[in-house]
Order: sequence, then structure tokens, then C-alpha cells
Amino acid sequence: MLQKLFRGKKEKRAYNGSKLDGDMSKDNSEKIDSELTKTVNIFKTIYSYPDNQDVTIRNIHINGLNKDGALLFISTITDTKVIDEYVIEPLLKNQDSEVKIDDLVSVPSISKTTAIADICTEVNNGSAVLFVDEETQAYILNASNFESRGIEKPENETVVKGPKEAFIEKASTNISLIRKRIKNENLVVETQTVSKRSNNVAYIVYIKNVTNDDIVDKVKSRLHTMDVDAVQNLSLLEQYIEESHVSIFPTVLNTERPDRAVSFLEDGYVVLLMDNSPDSLVVPATFWSFYHTSEDHYLRLPYGNFTRVLRLFALFVTLFTSALYVAVVTFHVEMIPPDLLLAIASTRELVPFPALFEVLLMEIAFELIREAGLRVPSPIGPTIGIVGALILGQAAVEANIVSPIVVIVVALGGLSSFAIGDISMNFAIRLSRFIFVIAAGVFGMYGMVALFTLGVFYLVSIRTFGVPYLAPMTPTYKSSKDTIFRKMLQNEIFRPGYMKPKDMKKK
Amino acid sequence: MEQPQGRTGGKIGIKEFVAIVVIMIGTKITDDTTALLFKPLLNAAWMVPVINGILAIIPVALLMKVSTHYENKDLIDVSYHLFGKYIAFFVLFILWFIGFCFIVVDTAIYTDIIGTMYYLRTPSIVIYGLLMFVCAYGARKGLENIGSVAWTVYPYLQASLFVTLLITFSQGSTNFLFPLFGPGALEVIKESSFTISIYMDILYVFILFPYVNRTKDFKKGTWIAFALIAINMALALISYIMLFDYHSVAMQSYPYHEALRTINFAFLTNLESFIFPFWLIGSFVKFTAYLYINLLLFAKLVKIEQFKYLIPTFATLIVFLGLIAENPAVTMHQLKQTIAYITSPMFFALPILFWIVAKWKGEFKK
Repeated sequence: MLQKLFRGKKEKRAYNGSKLDGDMSKDNSEKIDSELTKTVNIFKTIYSYPDNQDVTIRNIHINGLNKDGALLFISTITDTKVIDEYVIEPLLKNQDSEVKIDDLVSVPSISKTTAIADICTEVNNGSAVLFVDEETQAYILNASNFESRGIEKPENETVVKGPKEAFIEKASTNISLIRKRIKNENLVVETQTVSKRSNNVAYIVYIKNVTNDDIVDKVKSRLHTMDVDAVQNLSLLEQYIEESHVSIFPTVLNTERPDRAVSFLEDGYVVLLMDNSPDSLVVPATFWSFYHTSEDHYLRLPYGNFTRVLRLFALFVTLFTSALYVAVVTFHVEMIPPDLLLAIASTRELVPFPALFEVLLMEIAFELIREAGLRVPSPIGPTIGIVGALILGQAAVEANIVSPIVVIVVALGGLSSFAIGDISMNFAIRLSRFIFVIAAGVFGMYGMVALFTLGVFYLVSIRTFGVPYLAPMTPTYKSSKDTIFRKMLQNEIFRPGYMKPKDMKKK
Repeated sequence: MEQPQGRTGGKIGIKEFVAIVVIMIGTKITDDTTALLFKPLLNAAWMVPVINGILAIIPVALLMKVSTHYENKDLIDVSYHLFGKYIAFFVLFILWFIGFCFIVVDTAIYTDIIGTMYYLRTPSIVIYGLLMFVCAYGARKGLENIGSVAWTVYPYLQASLFVTLLITFSQGSTNFLFPLFGPGALEVIKESSFTISIYMDILYVFILFPYVNRTKDFKKGTWIAFALIAINMALALISYIMLFDYHSVAMQSYPYHEALRTINFAFLTNLESFIFPFWLIGSFVKFTAYLYINLLLFAKLVKIEQFKYLIPTFATLIVFLGLIAENPAVTMHQLKQTIAYITSPMFFALPILFWIVAKWKGEFKK
């Protein structure tokens, strides 16, 4: 229906030959007419009334003032109950002839405007507009009511201990979730329109007296330079503002947890919100922000660091197990103790493929199970598990296509990959794993180390919004040193220095 | 000169600086440099890094005094300032050429180590090519990133060496260390001074002076790195003697790798493949730093602003020059020995010359 609405608008504009182009807010030259019927007719043309199903124009006679008026709104995105009770009813029942319209209607927010373009923007955002005969101003009554779901538990970033609220697809709710956590007048929520035709708005959230102005400006200028018709949500916006579009490492953090977004805000980062996105973007993101989870800090120090160690271990296991197996079996057999070597050799005896091929086969099979499991409709979901485990694991071994040890190696790597929670980093690690396997197959350990060195050189050279990717580890900055391990909360005194916050000390 | 983007406009901190220097020079202990020491000095070879370290304090301190006297001027600018256009160019060109020879010789030797110790059937050109590819990539990233990488990997490299040394000590015999002075105390001192060139690379470190955050950091960093290198070298040499005795160690080209093959730990009978990756990372970073510094010097000499584009060319050139030698373990080692004999007096004399000229010109009074 909305699509139809926009399409209709576009055609009519072309027909009118008016200047109302994609970006309506830029053109404020056309004003409404003081004659009510003319004004209403203009808007009837713009909104393709009455073809457009949900566009409502309600003519009313304002008692007392003895004037005609018309109310324009889109019924599907406006709270009709509010309009009934607080706009139409007071207008109809009024007896006072001296009262102003502002004092009559009792919606919380009311403003006046004359430009047709502004009125359109407001109506498209769910406001109702009241035209009154013989007046050159229109009253904009804020009563928007977009449909969305209620606040639910986070789906991807689950924690055992800690808050269990997640962002939803409504930006105003998300801002409220943030404001609930930072009750301070310095928390600023700016808006910027990022697309021309659909007028999608991004909310730039930061703490005025903490966040460095340069970073806010950089974010704004990136948003400003975007030249697109529509950006539906943050996942798409992320790809417009990120540093390198082809790099396998993410430079913008996506989090669905308000508490996590807030902890970044408090450290001087900038958070972006948008309607239709059940998450928030944190810029700039360093490598560590992908490695950490919010629970690391909710758990007590030893427990939190224990999970960090596990995650680091999982990261290395994911990256290197398969590659190491290929390298060892192909080039460095002397590495393994003889008993184990014989065990491996005996299982590989009947397998006709080289180790590299064998491992790649299983890796791809594993990725397939993973992808298929994600896309499969939930009623037939369990089947995938059975097919995957039974056929690919058991049968492939029995058919001598792969050796049992490869199943263990790949399963271990696959399992560990789930410990890296962030989806972007998860992809980065999984993709790197394939490159490592191939490097190991070609050059053994030498290839792996060469690739690793190249990777480290690449990682340290990444800059996201001017911030080095591995900061504060290297280059060193004054910070709370929350990198591989976290410190005691009492000792986390400083905000990260690479963000150049206006206030360094947290405590 | 190009300035990599970042916090300090391409400058590095003390940690990064120390890491670069230690990795650059400290890794010598894992190649054939040791053979230069064991042949004349037998079981007293481990004293060389210490004695030379003490001797080398003089030239390093003098050069430090001259070089840090001028803020924001590196060794190159200082020499132009002190010696004038032509002599300075000549001296620096020699310095660059020696540095370049070192890179060719050393990369050829490292390729030989990888080839003979781990990859017997892989052609040298492939190993060499990959080695220089990684180094060229790293060098292109600029000093700030080289520093970051060096600092990121340094703790692990040091730890791996430490573990190796610990195991080697536990499996060696202290009796091999005696008689303490080997061929005689006087002989030790005399022969040590011939091989002072093991610290020659410190000269090149002075080129990095304007790229270190603060003068204080540079001074402190150089001394810390110097001490770390001397300690690491001495300990490693002791461990080789303890494990092999002086006679057999003198016959080995690469005692570090032989030691890795000899030692075992718990159920792991072969440790070399576990330590090999760390050593490799060290080698990559080492030659990246060498390549970068050498090209920095070259670019300054011939006044090239964007020397980034020279890196792949030089890397390729190094591969083909390094491949000329049929048997690097012998020929390159000979070459290295010759260069060492030539450069040892030079390393000692050049800083003194710098200092004398500066003093004579009355620079320190300004």
C-alpha cells in the first residue's frame, strides 16, 4: 500500500510539473492557498485522492469560529483515536468565538507551516494536518502511530547475567531505551535524512561533553555524502559508511543490545539508530569491540576473563585447526608423536584424496549445513541436523571419502567458530580460515605463517574513522586496557584515548 | 617523505621502537652469525655479545650525542650537515650499499635455513619469493605499521625463544662452558673486537631517529634494545655450547635450528615445528624493517619522495641477487664474514668521526 502511495505521488508530481522533486524539504517555495478548497485540491492531486486508499481528508466545520476546515492524514500511520478525541471533537464542540486553534486541539505537539513540501514530509511521517479557511498557515498535529512489535529479548547477543532488552524496529523506542540508561541532558540525538526519495532518517546519538567533535563530524559528513534514493535500515547504511567495502574485516559494530550501545556511548563513541532496524551501529569499531561481549563485564572479573580466554582460544582454533592439520599431514609429519602419527596414517590409508581436498570438502559441507540450517523453514529444521550429522559425518567416513580425524578437526573448528558472537567478525574468521587452509596446503606452516604475518600487517594498518583497528594495544593509547583481558572495574579509569574524548577520566 | 596516516603522523612509540630493533638485530642469534664467533673463540664465544656490547657503547653513545643534538634530523641530514654534500653522499652511499648487501646475504641465508631445515623439496625461488613478498607488503605499509606489528608479535617471539633456551639449558651440560675463557682471555677480547659488526645494524637504527615520538624515547629505547639483544645473544650462545659442546657447534651453520631438532619436551619429540612459526614471524618482521630502513636511506640519498613504489622492485632485485649463490650456507657465509671484517672497524670509526667533526665545528656549543 505504501508503495502505491509513493508511486502515485511521483506520477502526480510529474503531471503537475511542480518543483516537488525527490528531496522535498529543499523546495519550500510553494505555499498553501488561503482559500481552503484550493489548498485541499492541491493535496488531493499530490496524494492521488481518492485512489490512495488510506489517505483521509476530513472536512469539518469549526463551531464557534464559524470557519470551514479540513484535516489531512494517512490513516494507517496516524493514531485515529487521538485525532478523534483530541482534534475533531474539540473543534466540533467549540462554542467560543474568540479562541485560537492552538488552544482548541489538545494533542501534545502542534506546529504551523506554510510550505507544501514541509506539510508533505509531516504527513508522510504520520502527522495530521489541519487546514483552516482564510488562513495561510496549516497546523501540524503530531499523532503518528507506526506499527511495530514490542520490546523483546535479544536473539543474537544473549547473556545469562545482565539486562534482557533488545532494540526493536522503532527508533523512538530505541532512543527511549538509551535515555532510560543515560539520564543526562548531554545525551544528544540528532537526525539526518540519509535518502532522497524515501526520506529515511538516521539518528546520531552521542554524549555532547564526552564524544570528540571530529568523530561526530566525520560520521555526519559520511551520512551527508550518501546519494541514494532509499536506505531501508542500518544493515544497509553500514555498508554505505564503512571504511573499506571489500575488506573482510568489519569496521562498524552492529549491536542489538541497548546496554552495549550505551556502554559505547559512555566511552565517547557515536551510535546510529534508524527506524526498521532492531539494532544500532557503533562507530568507530576496533577489533576488540568485536571480540568482546557485554557479558564479559557483567560477570565477575575471574569469570569474565575466563570467557575471554575461551573466546580467544576458540578464535585461534577456528582459524588454525584445519589449516594446521593440512600442514602437518602434508609437510610436517615429524611434528606429531609417532603413535598419533600412525593412528592418523592408518585412518587415512583408505582415503583416496590429498589432505587439502579432504579438509576443504568437509569445511564446505559444514558451511553448507550451517547456511541451510539458517534458511530452512523451522518445521523441517530438525531434518537438517539429522542429514548433516548422519550422512556427512558417519556415512562419509564409512565410504572412505574422509578420514574420521578430519571430521573431528572440522567439527572442532566449526564448533569454536560459534564462540565468536559477532556475525561480521564470525564471517571474517570463517573466510580467513579457508585462506589459511589453502595456504597450508600449498606451503605448509611456512604459508600459514606468511599469511598470518600479512594478516597482522593488514590488521594494524586498518583505520576506521581515523582510529587504528588494534588500538589501544598498538599503537598504544591511554585507556582502560580492555583488550584481550579486562581489568577490575575499579581500575578501568580512562575512556579509550584513541577516541580523543573530551573527558578522559571515567572515575 | 611519505607519512602514514595515524595518531602521530607516522611516528612510533618507545615500545614499537624497541620491538623493531630487538627483532631486527636479535634474530641474528638464530642464523649463521654464530658460526663467525664459534670458530675463533670456541666455548668462550658467548662472551662476544657481552664484550662487544661494552665496546660498542662507545660508538653508539657518541653517535647518540651527535644525532640527538639535532631535533628532527636523521642520520642522513646530520651527515650532510657535518660533512658537506659530497663526502656525506659518499659515506651514506657506502652505508646504504653495505646495508643492501646485508639484506641480500641475510635473506639468502634465511631462505637456505627454511629450505634445508624444513622444506627440502621446495625450490629456493619459491621460498625466497614468498619471503620477499611478505616483506615488501609489510614495508609498503610504512614504519608505523611495522612498529605495531613488531610490538604485537615481540612478546610471543621472546617467549618462544625463552622456552627454547629453558629446555636447551635443562638438556645441556654446564661442563661444556669450561674453561671459561676458551682460547685465553686476551684472545677473547682481541677476536671479539673483530666481530663488533654484529652490532653494526644499530647504525641504521639512527635513521629512524626523527620517526620516534620523543628524543628521550629514542635514547632510552636504543639502550633497552641494546641490552636485550646482548642478553639474548649471550644466553642463546651459552645454550648452544651447553647442548653441543664447542667442537660440534663450530661445524654447524645454523645451531639454533639444530638445537630445536635436538631438544624434546614431554611427549613431544620434535619441537622444531612448534617454534618454527615464531621464528618465521620474527624473520618476516626483521626483513620488513631492514627493507624499509634501507629504502628510506636510498630514497633520501637520491631524493625520491614516494619510495613506496620502489619497494616491489627492490624486493624482486633482492630475490634474484640472493639466488645467484649456489650454496648459500657456504658462499653467503663467506661473504658475510668478509663484510663483517670490513665493517667492524668502520662501525667503530664512523661514529667517532661524526663526533670529532661535530666537536671540531663547535656544534655542541650552539
